Amino acid sequence: MANLTNLYDVSKCTACRACQVACKNWNQLPAAIEPFKGNYQTHEDTNGDTYTIVRFIEHEDPVGGVTWNFLKYQCMHCSDPACMKVCPRGAYSKTEWGATIHDPDKCIGCQYCTYACPFGIPKYREREDKVAKCTLCADRVEEGMQPACAATCPTGALKFGDRYELLQYAEERVNFLRANGYPNATIYGKLELGGLNKIYILTDTPDKFGLPVDPKIPGQIPFWQDIVQPYFGWLIPLALAGSAVSFVTTRLLANKHKENKKGGHE
Amino acid sequence: MTNHWNDLKNTDCCLIIGSNAAENHPISFKWLTEAREKRGAKIIHVDPRFTRTSARSDIYAPIRPGTDIAFIGGMINYILENKLYHEEYVREYTNATFIVKDTYDFNDGLFSGYDPVQRKYDKNQWAYEMTEDGQYVKDMTMQHPRCVLQLLKKHFSRYDIKTVCKITGTPENKYLEVLKTYCTTGAPDKAGTIMYAMGTTQHTVGTQNVRSYAILQLLLGNMGKPGGGVNALRGESNVQGSTDWALLYHILPGYLASPQAKHKDLKTYLEMETPKTGYWKNKPKFMVSFLKSYWMQDDPEKSYHYLPKRENNKNYSHIAMFEAMYKNEIEGLFIWGSNPIVGGPNANKEQAALAKLKWMVAIDLWQTETSEFWTYKAADRPTDKDEYGTNLTPDKIQTEVFFLPACASFEKEGSVSNSGRWMQYRWKAADPVGESRADLEIVHDLMLRIKKLYQGSTKPQDEPITHLTWDYGPEGHPDIDKIAREINGFTVINGKPGKQIANFTKLADDGSTACSNWIYSGCYPDNEYLAKRRDNRDIAYPGTKPIGSYSNWAWCWPVNRRILYNRCSATPDGRPWDKERVSIFWDGSAWVGNDVPDFAKNKNPNEPGGKNAFIMRPEEVGCIFSACAEGPFPEHYEPWESPVKNLLNSQPFNPAIVEWEPKKRGTTDKYPIIGTTYRVSEHWQSGVMTRMQPWLAELVPDVFVEMSEELAKEKGIRNGDKVIIMTTRGDIKAVACVTKRFKPLNVAGKKIHHIGVLWHFGFNGYATGDPANRLTPHVGDANTTIPEYKAWLCNIRRA
Amino acid sequence: MKVTRRQFLKVTGVTAATLAVTDLGFDLTATAKKLKSVRIKNIKPVPTICPYCGAGCGLVVYTKKDVPANEPQILSVHGDPDHPINRGAACSKGAALMNIREIYDPKTGKQQINPKRAKKPLYRAPYSDKWEEKDWDWMLDTIAQRVKETRDKYIIHKENGVIVNRLDKIASLGGAALDNEEVNLIVKMNRALGMTYVEHQARI
Repeated sequence: MANLTNLYDVSKCTACRACQVACKNWNQLPAAIEPFKGNYQTHEDTNGDTYTIVRFIEHEDPVGGVTWNFLKYQCMHCSDPACMKVCPRGAYSKTEWGATIHDPDKCIGCQYCTYACPFGIPKYREREDKVAKCTLCADRVEEGMQPACAATCPTGALKFGDRYELLQYAEERVNFLRANGYPNATIYGKLELGGLNKIYILTDTPDKFGLPVDPKIPGQIPFWQDIVQPYFGWLIPLALAGSAVSFVTTRLLANKHKENKKGGHE
Repeated sequence: MTNHWNDLKNTDCCLIIGSNAAENHPISFKWLTEAREKRGAKIIHVDPRFTRTSARSDIYAPIRPGTDIAFIGGMINYILENKLYHEEYVREYTNATFIVKDTYDFNDGLFSGYDPVQRKYDKNQWAYEMTEDGQYVKDMTMQHPRCVLQLLKKHFSRYDIKTVCKITGTPENKYLEVLKTYCTTGAPDKAGTIMYAMGTTQHTVGTQNVRSYAILQLLLGNMGKPGGGVNALRGESNVQGSTDWALLYHILPGYLASPQAKHKDLKTYLEMETPKTGYWKNKPKFMVSFLKSYWMQDDPEKSYHYLPKRENNKNYSHIAMFEAMYKNEIEGLFIWGSNPIVGGPNANKEQAALAKLKWMVAIDLWQTETSEFWTYKAADRPTDKDEYGTNLTPDKIQTEVFFLPACASFEKEGSVSNSGRWMQYRWKAADPVGESRADLEIVHDLMLRIKKLYQGSTKPQDEPITHLTWDYGPEGHPDIDKIAREINGFTVINGKPGKQIANFTKLADDGSTACSNWIYSGCYPDNEYLAKRRDNRDIAYPGTKPIGSYSNWAWCWPVNRRILYNRCSATPDGRPWDKERVSIFWDGSAWVGNDVPDFAKNKNPNEPGGKNAFIMRPEEVGCIFSACAEGPFPEHYEPWESPVKNLLNSQPFNPAIVEWEPKKRGTTDKYPIIGTTYRVSEHWQSGVMTRMQPWLAELVPDVFVEMSEELAKEKGIRNGDKVIIMTTRGDIKAVACVTKRFKPLNVAGKKIHHIGVLWHFGFNGYATGDPANRLTPHVGDANTTIPEYKAWLCNIRRA
Repeated sequence: MKVTRRQFLKVTGVTAATLAVTDLGFDLTATAKKLKSVRIKNIKPVPTICPYCGAGCGLVVYTKKDVPANEPQILSVHGDPDHPINRGAACSKGAALMNIREIYDPKTGKQQINPKRAKKPLYRAPYSDKWEEKDWDWMLDTIAQRVKETRDKYIIHKENGVIVNRLDKIASLGGAALDNEEVNLIVKMNRALGMTYVEHQARI
């Protein structure tokens, strides 16, 4: 089956943040009200009740003047997701069409995935002691609907469809943008980490939008995934007892004790 | 809007000025994005600050708040100097050819006929030259020195690019880019649209700002065309409808003037108010049918007197109302879903005024700040400044307050009219919360109870109530269908409703028809309320392409006409200017096409009046020259509070405005910074709807003030700091948002700082903060008295 | 049978065979058919127009039938896909429409009626520092009485020989968010009472 995905064209986004609200509406997520810190971007990062945010980034250069870059940020639904590799309980899975799904019933709230993800996406939800993230609205997609964010987007900056076709469109669009005032326009998500199941049309280089230029999965992950994971069921009690202290479990425990709402990446 | 939302896709160039459309009308960018993709349209944003709209525009040009007339005046001058106007259109469809009497004059910012004591003009000085038999004198070559085009040229010749940019602070290269891009729409087969909002109107020259857009659009031939128009983006779901219904002191429903004492009887009213030419000559039919809808049993001559006659020339507008209240001249106040101590200008004074009422009724979904103006938290201020005696504790406030819980829009049913004049129905989706009720039930039950109190009264002043036709069903159950039928209008037989009429062309001036709002006549012609229609096909007239009229979706006033003045979308002899975007055209026997003609359906273009495209004007042409309170042409005047002297004339500010509080006019010694207020996408108006919603409070949780990095450095303010903003009216606290998107303006070589404050905030809700309108002045436009929220003087410091 | 929105959503997911249900961590295959019929029977979509700006976008409110008036009824609110202006889109405010009536508690995640909504008529006596709950009858009767007192005292019937029926002592403010049918009656009431200070948001 072909991969289905979201294409996000920043050149059409007005940052109205409808996607952010529609996501909460569909996924039944409460508000997470934080104080205003001097930027329109209220949350610095996604959190357990906020699967998607819009970033607001200002740039200024002597020639182009001021630009205000917007970026919808959420799970990239990697084709080979680190979260899935590291999850000790197999809570993560890929749908046939490319969404990375997290099953809350299997999740034990260990938050290992929150460290493994190169984009820092899975977040700890304290009130349930579980991790949560964007599902690419798998439930809607399976019913032939678009994800809530794409359906609500007023300007058509978000499109949902066949990844290959969207990539073709993205190539055309980027060529157009390069010829029309955005010489650095580029596609993001085509090749990164072997291809993401989210495609971005950027008007400038990825760093201008706070995206990792060459995202990588942290080094310890494969070890943990391939060797430790099978034994994780019995490792956890040991770790909790303080007898099998590894780098990961220490941080994991520290976080649990702090009851850190947001997970890692501080 | 002269056009409508879907029509934005037809534009070749969109000038967004005085509006932050991407944030406050997000869906507009759906259609602008389509115009850009499919037509290669350009989007220009002219605004004091770089917003989300600017981020998505092709050209962003900064402008100093309150200098739109200079900006547009320079465009007009550029068009005239370079002959970029659509000559045939201007000649045939505007008053450019009309000769003006030689009493018209203009000198140093003043037109002829100015009375400095009254601060008013004698508009007769600007009259047209007329022939002895009452015809307009015209010069079709437009060369006569007193023809409107030549007067326009002369008037705006002072608005050269250098002068304009010195006034507006717009960099010259940016200004030139705007000129070159937008003025291409003067080509006959091109269409340019202007989108504006409160950034245009909320000035002491608000009306003339809009006039300047109208002149620009007439010169470029952009009115009446698909993809053209002057489009006011209305900020509330039914502010179009509630204006059409005249919740305004100066009008009755359907834009009929509300009577003044000088209109001593119906005959006098109709004589004074009915023009001899243009479609308004039918006004007696509309007025009489309106009276019949209110008092169906009475003779209109008599029931005319049931309407209040306001004092001649007295201003009863919002500011005037609160000034009167502050002086103890008002005893009772009804507030229907409004929050003036957050949204009203000079909110401290308006709050203090409420404390002088004897009683107040507030109807809302939530406890608004206004309904709780008497609480301790309402008196809380960040500094000791108390200019109006606002800081009263509850034990000092006499006002008796009645709060009635209203239900939400989707917990009841009824219609609303959008900016494009589409009257759309909303069905009931959920039950009202608690004991909340629809406003319709509230007003219905209240009026029935008031009528009961007056039952049996024989006093003549009580007849307006005892005779009032209020036949909408029993208490608690108003019949919305009956109301809708009355809106459409029907025949009256023996003082009772007869048959529904087709539309307002069937209204009569003899009392045989009733219609509560003539412009909506046609919304319920037989047994179908057309506001409920949901056929979303965009059907094209044979041989043309669809233009997005969606004529079978809902209904729009007047008579389902989607683009106003659409006669101008065709050449004088009736062919479309652009075959790709056909609105209406003459097919040899009738006007046909993709819209309802704004013209007599069978009037041949070659018969007399066959080219008179603006049928609502007495002149029947578009008015480049038109008498407003401060003159027949727009002239740049500085805002009431301004940091600079006017470079074009020596008037300190608009010479025709009322100064309500001369002593509160701030000066640059204490208040050197320009302040302006605005909204964001995530909140709405006074915020009472959106601050009460966690998902929206989350997105913008606090009041913030945007400023440049330069100003922040001067004042020692860091991003995220709490700051105090000060004006002569009051002080507020806000969070600093220091941004590259704000730059100091270079105004005639002087560095001028400006800041912008969100005005959505108050002390109730999930997100709270100080109301920015505690800073804004009680001063308004010379024609409408809309407050000057958008340009005032302030200072700022760290809290 | 009550349907929670979670069930409603899951049902929509289960019907397509492409997804192994275990991937979502639960198994609804057995009940899917049943739930599907419940969904059709007990969920109603109702079109409305967004109450915010003047764009007039269409929204669809999905509610559960047979739920008491004072309980959460809304499953979800979407842009109306049939609406010519927004074609299924909704901005942040439109997409949040449900919050006007119902919210999710941040502590428990539970759906509840928005606690900020006013549920009862409230009265504040002169010089009092608190609200008192009153019933509708008392409120409407007392307001009608206040209107009559003020009107009878101040109405000007004639001035310089001209009937003016003018009442400058009661003012009316607001109404831009109300329905046409409602403002029609409010204007009618105001003018019949003789009111001259009639203003609303269009002026400001």
